[in-house]
Amino acid sequence: MDRNYHVFSDGRLERSDDTLRLVPDDDGDKQYIPIENAEAFFLHGQIDFNTRLMSFLNDRTVALHVFGWEDYYAGSVMPKRGQTSGKTVVNQVRAYEDSQHRRQLAAAIVKGSIHNMRTNVVYYNGRDHDLDSVIEDLEAAAARVDESLPIDELMGIEATAKKAYYRSFNQILPSEFQLTQREYNPPPNEINSLISFGNSLVYANCVSAIRATALDPTISYLHEPGERRYSLSLDIADLFKPVLADRVLFRLVNRNQISESDFETELGSCLLNEAGRKTYTKAFEEMLERTVEHPTLNRKVSYQYLMRLEAYKLKKHLLTGEAYDSFQRWW
Amino acid sequence: MTVADPVDRLLATARGEPVNEPFRVTGVMVQYYYVCKRELWFESRNLEIDRENATVVRGTRVDETAYSDKRENLHLGMISLDLLDDGRVVEVKPSSTLTEPAEMQLSYYLWYLDRVADIQRDGVLAHPRERKREPVELTTERSEKVETAIRGIHDIVSQSSPPPAEEKPFCDSCAYHDFCWC
Repeated sequence: MDRNYHVFSDGRLERSDDTLRLVPDDDGDKQYIPIENAEAFFLHGQIDFNTRLMSFLNDRTVALHVFGWEDYYAGSVMPKRGQTSGKTVVNQVRAYEDSQHRRQLAAAIVKGSIHNMRTNVVYYNGRDHDLDSVIEDLEAAAARVDESLPIDELMGIEATAKKAYYRSFNQILPSEFQLTQREYNPPPNEINSLISFGNSLVYANCVSAIRATALDPTISYLHEPGERRYSLSLDIADLFKPVLADRVLFRLVNRNQISESDFETELGSCLLNEAGRKTYTKAFEEMLERTVEHPTLNRKVSYQYLMRLEAYKLKKHLLTGEAYDSFQRWW
Repeated sequence: MTVADPVDRLLATARGEPVNEPFRVTGVMVQYYYVCKRELWFESRNLEIDRENATVVRGTRVDETAYSDKRENLHLGMISLDLLDDGRVVEVKPSSTLTEPAEMQLSYYLWYLDRVADIQRDGVLAHPRERKREPVELTTERSEKVETAIRGIHDIVSQSSPPPAEEKPFCDSCAYHDFCWC
């Protein structure tokens, strides 16, 4: 699996012969970036680019994910799709239209999402934190998940679980970094800001993973299709946020690798500054490169590739009718 | 016109005769029929293979580079074949490990040329990396085997779900591996 590149500085990204060059605005050194092993570029700064670059990235099937003001995900420029399959999209829509089928898929996603939140809490429960009540709440929520429930109730169960889960953050994290409650748009404090930033990275990686299949990113099951951006990516990202974003957050904060100096606080908002984003993305990319023995593929796969596999699993289910079991952390 | 036998339906489709349900078989489908029936079902659903897969990259490379001076690509309805300058039909394969599937793919081309276009040719299976070539002739026995395969392919691709996954020694190098086993 190829790697992601994050660009934080302001400047210009351009094609230079057969590779990429970053020309910073501040007259700093030009940087050459090998395109051969690039999966996607994440642009966090103000970057100019032209159509020549776009064609080049398109040929090399490399995506650009753009982050805008306050580092919100602004959009992606994806290579012209190499994968198309009308049949896949037809089956995707059919599953959505069949309310029983849609509920079944939505329930699987909620179940996986709660399972993965629970795994995090159990891990920290064993490390001097008393999180039994959170675990109980998560288990109660998981027990309520049923394929016969309407979508808004399934959404409600996930929201209840998330609320319980976020309660655990205040115990897992040091007292100067508290979540109090989850808020975004804009995030009011450090932890909210870290959650938002991490989630947007998970989301963008899921966009890339979905694009590697012929799945239509706007047709989703738990989230309403097209409700916000690529809603299928929101579905799949829910499964991976606890495994990727939250674990990175806990580790960085608990090891004092991220401190208050990594944030910019303004009236009513608190956001990671450039140094903070660099620290976070570095740890996040390392997380994506971690590997785990896969039970049926008989080899080790990276955490990043797990997102691709999840898209494959969904596509396989839709095309073959073989069961879809959502990703649930098994290690 | 409703045609019952898949072989007749394929021939009618290839000749451009009106058929209710056209039936097409490509060379690669014949090959997959002998290699892996699940792979055949995936292929029939236009499931894109993983182009980054090492085996696929190697195969494409061998196919693009071998005999580049002599070959002509001939597209004929549902088949696409390579003709060498002495007029023989050549199928280029990166290795000779799976002989029967490749032989049957080539036999299908010869059968198709004979039945659809009334062109009789001999075939050669070429393994340029091994410097090996193997002649393939369309005997009566082979023709019958091709027709049996066409009926078998029809059975597989008309199922609404694929045959279950079965572990084979070459699964690891298959371009559908991860999709199949995930």
